[in-house]
Amino acid sequence: MAEEIRAEMVANVWKIVAKPGDEVSDADPIVILESMKMEIPVHSEDGGVVAELHVTEGQVVQEGDLIATVE
Amino acid sequence: MSIATTPATPVTVDVRDPLPRLTALFDAGTLQLVAHDDDSGVVTARGDIGGTPAIAYCSDARKMGGAMGTDGCAHIVSAIDTAVAERIPVVGIWHSGGARLPEGVVALHAVGQVFAAMVRASGRVPQISVVLGPAAGGAAYGPALTDIVIMSATGRIFVTGPEVVKSVTGEHSDMESLGGPDVHGRKSGVAHVTTKDDATALATARDLTSLLGRQGHVQPADAVDEGDLGELLPDQPNRAYNVKPLVKRLLDSGDDVESPVELHAKWAANIVTVLGRFAGRTIGVIANNPLRLGGCLNSESAEKAARFVRMCDALGVPLVVLVDVPGYLPGLGQEWDGVVRRGAKLLHAFAESVVPRVTLVTRKSYGGAYIAMNSRALGATAVFAWPDAQLAVMGASAAVNVLYRKQLAAAPEEEREALRQTFIAKQEAEAGGVGLASEIGVVDEVIDPKQTRHRLAVALAAAPAARGAHGNIPL
Repeated sequence: MAEEIRAEMVANVWKIVAKPGDEVSDADPIVILESMKMEIPVHSEDGGVVAELHVTEGQVVQEGDLIATVE
Repeated sequence: MSIATTPATPVTVDVRDPLPRLTALFDAGTLQLVAHDDDSGVVTARGDIGGTPAIAYCSDARKMGGAMGTDGCAHIVSAIDTAVAERIPVVGIWHSGGARLPEGVVALHAVGQVFAAMVRASGRVPQISVVLGPAAGGAAYGPALTDIVIMSATGRIFVTGPEVVKSVTGEHSDMESLGGPDVHGRKSGVAHVTTKDDATALATARDLTSLLGRQGHVQPADAVDEGDLGELLPDQPNRAYNVKPLVKRLLDSGDDVESPVELHAKWAANIVTVLGRFAGRTIGVIANNPLRLGGCLNSESAEKAARFVRMCDALGVPLVVLVDVPGYLPGLGQEWDGVVRRGAKLLHAFAESVVPRVTLVTRKSYGGAYIAMNSRALGATAVFAWPDAQLAVMGASAAVNVLYRKQLAAAPEEEREALRQTFIAKQEAEAGGVGLASEIGVVDEVIDPKQTRHRLAVALAAAPAARGAHGNIPL
């Protein structure tokens, strides 16, 4: 089942690390957000293959916004 | 050549049978049934769990779906009262549709007596619930009144079932989407632990019973430091990281040690609460997790931590608090969600608790969250910091923007950034780092990360054992 990774808080998308097709573990960052003056890596909960990225660098995401889908 | 294999004789096991469930809960060969062999829908038993005596009650869902009537409730009350008299843990295994309808208000009265027994026992003996099937209506509030709720994949907890919900609100659901483990592990916080199957749920109950029932003593000589815990922090000070490997490395490990149990792992994940063994003794660890919400405190995480602190205090479990917190999470949602009311619970819980409780600031501790994370002012037994820790009202650059706003605005634009950097350096020197905190005694000592386990163990061992005289209300 696809895992939808959503933003937990308002943040800037600082860096996109993974691209669609990449296999990621639960410890590999997919994107890095910037919020509260911190760089916050975003991970998949169980790992898998990145199916789609829904954000671009520099974009502002709100709480609940879809960041990536991992299968 | 192929060898024909004889299929194993099919054995039909009713998964609802209390006997295999109780057998899996207790140490091999120690199970003694107490109340059984009647139609009450409840079986009670005693025996050893991890070598420590314990009592258990278990729904028998083969009888009226495990519904609770006068006799079954009397068995549960008796089991709980016995546990209190003998000062031993009590485990409940739940698979029940709630109160017995044919008994009417008589059954409701009996279920209420179970609740009252649980509250009498609250904070006096560990109470652990394992929900393996539906626990509906009255059977939902039974587990909810105990210290820890474990749910297996087939566990379902709800007050009113899908049919009633549909008839009243028009909402469509099934038992899983209404009150399955994902709902209660992630959204509601009703379940402390969710597991993939019944066997793991019962194994987790065994670990928790052993941790809470046989707590042991801190032996600083056993707290050997292997490697440098400081290496688990990222090189960049503003990079978030997962704190769980640090918690794991801090705690004892080995074949003869219970697995640490994280409570509420997926709910309010920006704070981590773990029961585990440290230097031979059961402790509770509370840690900000920068990976989630930057490690900010918010209303849910403060409430989660507050309940954990109060449970540990009531059951005499010392605390280790690992601090790396940028502050409280700002936002309208937080304020409207009662971050003031719910955040106050954490302040109250720490200030009230009498168990030994040691704080370690690993990286930063800012603002109101500094106070809330078991600060000296709230009565911490000891407060340590790693060498690069920062303790302040806010980070230096944020502070400068407030303190020097007028001077920065008055400066020519081309000089402004250089001036800002000068002010930041000044602010860091005067109010950042651990200097000021050490000077006024709110940090006792800056410790070498390579000696973390040993120094925490010595501080815990030196503090007199104590236990809060209060119940564990499910905050």
